[in-house]
Amino acid sequence: MFVGVLGFFEGYVMPYKSLKCDSFDVLTLEWVMQVKNFKLVLDRHRCVGCQICSLVCPKDAVKVEKQLSDQFLKPRIDIDLSKCNFCGVCDVTCLYGAIKVTLNNACNLALLAKESYPTIDRTITLNSNLCPKNCFECEIICPLQLIKVSRKGFDGQPINDINNLSPTEKQRIKVIVDIQKEYCPTCKLCETKCPSKTLKVTKIFEGKLVINSEKCLINCHKCVDICPIPNVLTIIDKKISTNNAYCTYCGACKNVCPVDDALIIKRVKINHKHIHSGTWNKTLERLTNKNSKIKELEAITSIKKRDIVTKRLQDEITHE
Amino acid sequence: MSNTQTPEELRIGVFVCHCGLNIAGTVDVHAVAKYAQTLPNVVFVKENRYTCADPGQEEIRKAIKQNNLNRIVIAACSPRMHEPTFRRTVAEAGLNSFLCEMANIREFSSWCHQNTPNKATERAKDTVNMAVAKARLIQPLQTLEVPVTNKALIIGGGIAGISAALDLAEQGFKVYMLENSQSIGGHMAALDKTFPTLDCSICIEGPKMVDCARHPNITIFAYSDLVKVDGYVGNFTVKISKKPRYVIDENCTGCGECRDVCPIEYPNEWDVNLGARKAISVPFDQAVPLIYAINMDYCIECYKCTEKCGERKAIDFNQKPQEIEINVGAIIVATGFDIYEPYDMPLLGYGKYPNVITSMEFERLILAAGPTNGNVIRQSDGQKPQNLAFILCVGSRDKNKHPYCSNYCCMYTLKHAIQLKEKYKENIEIYIFYMDIRSPSKGYEEFYNRARERGVNFIRGRVSSITENPKTHNLTIHSEDTNLGNPIEIETNMIVLATASIPKKNSNTIAHILNISRGQDGFFMEAHPKLKPLDAPTDGIFYAGACAGLKDIPYSVSQGSAAASRAATILSKLNWPIEPIISTINPDKCIKCGLCVNACPYNAIKHEKNKPANINTASCHGCGTCVAECPAHAITQMHFTDPQIMAQIHAALQNNPEEKIIAFLCNWCSYAGADLAGISRCEYPASVRVIRVMCSGRVSKEFILEALHLGAGMILIGACHLPYDCHYINGNHKMKTRTDSLKNILTKQGLTPERFRVEYVSAAEGIHYAEIIKEIEQQKIQIGTQKIQEENQKLKPTIEHLLKTNQQNKQTQNL
Repeated sequence: MFVGVLGFFEGYVMPYKSLKCDSFDVLTLEWVMQVKNFKLVLDRHRCVGCQICSLVCPKDAVKVEKQLSDQFLKPRIDIDLSKCNFCGVCDVTCLYGAIKVTLNNACNLALLAKESYPTIDRTITLNSNLCPKNCFECEIICPLQLIKVSRKGFDGQPINDINNLSPTEKQRIKVIVDIQKEYCPTCKLCETKCPSKTLKVTKIFEGKLVINSEKCLINCHKCVDICPIPNVLTIIDKKISTNNAYCTYCGACKNVCPVDDALIIKRVKINHKHIHSGTWNKTLERLTNKNSKIKELEAITSIKKRDIVTKRLQDEITHE
Repeated sequence: MSNTQTPEELRIGVFVCHCGLNIAGTVDVHAVAKYAQTLPNVVFVKENRYTCADPGQEEIRKAIKQNNLNRIVIAACSPRMHEPTFRRTVAEAGLNSFLCEMANIREFSSWCHQNTPNKATERAKDTVNMAVAKARLIQPLQTLEVPVTNKALIIGGGIAGISAALDLAEQGFKVYMLENSQSIGGHMAALDKTFPTLDCSICIEGPKMVDCARHPNITIFAYSDLVKVDGYVGNFTVKISKKPRYVIDENCTGCGECRDVCPIEYPNEWDVNLGARKAISVPFDQAVPLIYAINMDYCIECYKCTEKCGERKAIDFNQKPQEIEINVGAIIVATGFDIYEPYDMPLLGYGKYPNVITSMEFERLILAAGPTNGNVIRQSDGQKPQNLAFILCVGSRDKNKHPYCSNYCCMYTLKHAIQLKEKYKENIEIYIFYMDIRSPSKGYEEFYNRARERGVNFIRGRVSSITENPKTHNLTIHSEDTNLGNPIEIETNMIVLATASIPKKNSNTIAHILNISRGQDGFFMEAHPKLKPLDAPTDGIFYAGACAGLKDIPYSVSQGSAAASRAATILSKLNWPIEPIISTINPDKCIKCGLCVNACPYNAIKHEKNKPANINTASCHGCGTCVAECPAHAITQMHFTDPQIMAQIHAALQNNPEEKIIAFLCNWCSYAGADLAGISRCEYPASVRVIRVMCSGRVSKEFILEALHLGAGMILIGACHLPYDCHYINGNHKMKTRTDSLKNILTKQGLTPERFRVEYVSAAEGIHYAEIIKEIEQQKIQIGTQKIQEENQKLKPTIEHLLKTNQQNKQTQNL
């Protein structure tokens, strides 16, 4: 299809100081300074063309460019080098972990260290001791191939074929489920498939996806095609139906929908650690609604109150 | 033409200056003197070797007293040079200083027609005749005095501005200092060491910056822009716009806690983008004033800083730009320079190869407080270079880029070489590629020798190109060693380009706001390069430092102090005299049309319905545009009245009018440009006769019509460049609309369009002026005398009709 890399450099004026390299696989923005190197890498394969980064960017640097031909449905994400400040908000918020912002090739974002932005909770718990020894369900079902199941004997040697082993040996096998959490959009497909019910996933976003069947075009199934998670959107009797159980509320479908209000996404809640930050409040407002912002502020005050009370109680105890 | 009869008997004295051989070497001065004697009303003619020298002036004073002279014509150099001198001389002899007229026979005759001495003499005679004709009609004028605001504004807080501010403040004057960036200090604050003493730059400038901030007479407006300047010498009204810092000046303690919690970093301009600074920060630790600022281009509004600042409440995200108006008596411009970045010189590879850097970047690398803590490292691998080359004259002394020498590059490169040798001793090899090493000031040559003794390799030759080894990122310089006459190639780890310094980016805006002009190289132009190196052409505005031509630190400091003392000559006075070359309205003639109100660029004319218009003399700058626009001839410009200019036209076209080019040149640009053509000895045809007006807007239709009526061959109007160069804001625009319509009428009636031209010549374009005159002369020859005469005959009825209607208007108004 594409031979080599469709790379080009933008901004001849400061080529070795701020630099943009766009290709079919990856979009890289860079500030090269003598001692510091800020870098933003967008993995175009991981990117599903959703709305999140363009919604949360505090500098409005991210643009979602719709594809002109129908051959490529997935919108292209473009980041304006002159606006981007490498803050890392997109990195933290991206459900699919497609964007990585680094300073001198290290991933420790100042944004998180200074508590200007919360870490998004991807709570995935699993007790692999309870896993059936011959089960690969989660690995098979994961639409993004983020789960790897492997086995080890008591000696730590990896075991490929389980059928040749004796029952005792089978008992001793340790099942290792490796989940690449940073790329997981928490669709919950694996949780439903897990036979031992040991895998528990909490969604990042909670909300609602509704299709307005009056406005929805017949024979248009762009949303179904673009959705990265199977079974969220399905065509039944030429009509599109939704399954909120697996929806990540990323908004990729909304981006490609040709009709206004035919597809409605409402995010109500974002799972995160409560913090005090204007940037986060803005994100909340943009991704969900004003109420969440108010709730956030209330949550912080209640945390503060709680802290004050616990501190006072502790003081009293030590006093006594 | 003139109806005014002077009651007293005219006794005109003409003084013809030899100016050594400057005039006498080309022009037959005796013939000019003899000719002057034949002119009516001339009662005394005298030749002087140097009229401007003391004995020459004494001659004038003596002649006035002995011969009872009442008008003086001095045929010598340009009035832009010595008119004030001779006015003073005349005044000392008891005559009104404005009863003196100059005939420019040096810049306009001897210097520009050296190969045609006969024609030069011819032109000199005509010039004297024109001056005598005007002198017959000039009237005594009283100089006006305006009160002076004894405060000063200094634009630019670099080392030149700082030394000017401190000097003025110490003399007791209130000083406002305007700085565009967040801290004062200028380029000097970003340097590591200064040559030739190797003093730490910020250590010697820092205390001065703090002195500025603490001085009770100095108010600093940092992070502010100049918006507008109104008024005149002694009484400027200045509008300043203070950019929002989003930090309240009074509440910020400069503690820096907000910076510590800020998560965002962006490239620090102060570090030439080599290092980063926080979105809320000061550009460098010693910044003055020490007030933090938020860069909204990068801030993500997490409000962590607000949280940390807490009770101090210094952060205000709702800050808006603030407009401030101040009144000052004098302005010192010390806007400094910018540094050229050679991105457009691809052969040197700057921007393409990571290890090619500019000297300013090197300065930040070797600075202990810089982004690398003083370690000179390569960008490609972070290693110390084993050998390093400096290339001089990048962009300067280069006809394709900047033809001028940037003054200090040789010296700072020597400084860099010595610094490296002192820091790394034997572990570094240094090459300097140069054209000439220029080290003319005190201690500089010794500094050069010191570099030689340290074992720096000097290679004389211009670098043709630099190539990079893509694996090691080492660089190969391809050059010529002109001392050996061989091409050479040297492989180095790192290359430092000593780039040219260029005029400040916003010089154009500043020039436009202050009504000052820029020379060919883009730096501000002095009123006189030798005698008034600190004065702008506009009274009350002075230059200090590199904005008027590149200077090193000691020179800038002394210029700052010098500019301060020039400004103090105004500020120390209660009143300041201004030239009475202003317009007045005759209320009896005024037809109350209000056209002059629109014509005036300074809003000096007020007009109420059914009342004659009225000019505010203090606001009038004396351009004369209203005079030319007035349909009723009710306005007169002092010293440039209609009869006076008409008399000059008549005198200029007395003989062979169709051979002559009549040129109306505005005082500030075209006349100065024509002067420059003379000063630079540009040869051009001698058929041109120049009439000086203050502004091209003064040239009214009647002048053109009268000249054509008298049979003039060609007509030229010289103005300042459109759109902004006009010394009187927009006189050139007014002239253009007026002449466009006139030209339309005349060409329809059969005038060859080339015969009536409008040209824009700046004070720096002497060569351009000479080219224009040559071109016009060529066209004149092409058209031919006969055709000109025929055309003039054909045009006569139209012109007479046009002039008559004007005349009638005038008469009806007189009744």
